[in-house]
Amino acid sequence: MISWFVNLIGLPPDCAGEREGEMTDELLVVRAQLGERAALAELVTRWRVPVWTYVRRMLDAERADDVTQEIWLAVVRGLPRLREPGRFAPWLFTIARRSVNDRLRGEYARAREDLTADDVLTEDPVEAMVDRAELVNALSGLPVPEREILVLFYLEDLSVEDCARICQVPVGTVKSRLNRARRMLREHLQERGHRS
Amino acid sequence: MTEEEPRLSARETIERLAPALSTGMRVRAVTALLAGLSGAVFVVALWSSEPGPLPGRTHLAFTLLTVFCLAWAGYGGWLLRNRVPLFAAEQVIAAWIALAASTSVTTLMTIVAVQRGTGPGLVLATGALFVAAASVLAVRAHARRAALLRRVRDLTGRKEEA
Repeated sequence: MISWFVNLIGLPPDCAGEREGEMTDELLVVRAQLGERAALAELVTRWRVPVWTYVRRMLDAERADDVTQEIWLAVVRGLPRLREPGRFAPWLFTIARRSVNDRLRGEYARAREDLTADDVLTEDPVEAMVDRAELVNALSGLPVPEREILVLFYLEDLSVEDCARICQVPVGTVKSRLNRARRMLREHLQERGHRS
Repeated sequence: MTEEEPRLSARETIERLAPALSTGMRVRAVTALLAGLSGAVFVVALWSSEPGPLPGRTHLAFTLLTVFCLAWAGYGGWLLRNRVPLFAAEQVIAAWIALAASTSVTTLMTIVAVQRGTGPGLVLATGALFVAAASVLAVRAHARRAALLRRVRDLTGRKEEA
C-alpha cells in the first residue's frame, strides 16, 4: 500500500517496514526504560530520520532541526513513564505532532474543517511516476491537517488507527482526510501537467 | 532537488540530550528532594520540641528554615518529575537512598527527642510515615524493574525462537 509513496519520497527501505536481524523497537524501549543508555542511543539513531522527515514535511527547514531536538528531549523525559513499550511509534509521533502543533497553532486555526466521518478509504488515485521534488512541493502546499495525515500514514507507515490516536480524531476522520489529501495532491500534480 | 537530511547527525542529536540523561543532575535532584524533606522534618521536630514559650523572632526563624527546606524539596521533586525522570534502575537506587535517609533522620530525631525529654512518640510516628512511604517506593521500583527485565527475557526468547 505504501511502497509507491515511499519510493517516490525516497526513504530508505528500513523506514518503511520491519527490520530483520535487529532488536525490535519494544525491546529497545524496555532496555532504555531500564536505564541502558546504549539502547536509548539506538532508538534515537533508528527513529531520527523518520521523526525529522515528519517534522520537515510539516515545517520549514529552519525550524525542523530545532523542533526535532525538542521532540527527542520530550521523548527522553517521558520514556520512563511510557506504559506500552510496544506502541512506541504512535507515542513518539504523538509527541512530535504536539511539538509541531505548537509551532503551527496559527496555521491550524485557519485550516478549514469540513469532514464527513463516514467517508471510505478508496484506492490510491495518484499512482503514477512523478518527480520526487514535485511531490514534496505538492505536500508542502497541502493544508496542515491533510499534510500531517499523509505524512503519518504513508511516510511513517502508521496504521489508520494509530494516525487517529496521534491526531486525536476518529478513524473515519483520518480516512476522510486521507481521501481529501490524495485528491488535493492529485489535483496539484495534474495542474502541473502530470497524469494521475 | 538535492536530498534533504537532518543537519544534526545521530551522534550530535544524542550529545544534545546529555543534560536530560545526566547522572549528576539525577543525583542532585534526588539529593535536593531528600535533603529538603529531611531538613524540614528535622526543623519542625526541633521547633515543636523547644521547651517553654519562644520569642517571635525564633518562630520566624524556624518558619523560614522550614520554608527553605520545603523549597529545596519542591525543586528536587520538580526536577525528577519534569526534567530528569528516573529510569527503572535509578528508581531502585533512589528508593533505597530514600529509605536510608528516612531511617537515619528518624533515628537522629528520636535521639534528640529523648535527650530533650519531650517523648519520642510524635517523632517516631512521623518517621514511621516516611519510612513506610520510602518502603512502598522501593517495593514498587523493584517490581517495575523486575517486570521490565521479564519483558526483556520474553522478547529476547521470542526472537531466538523465531
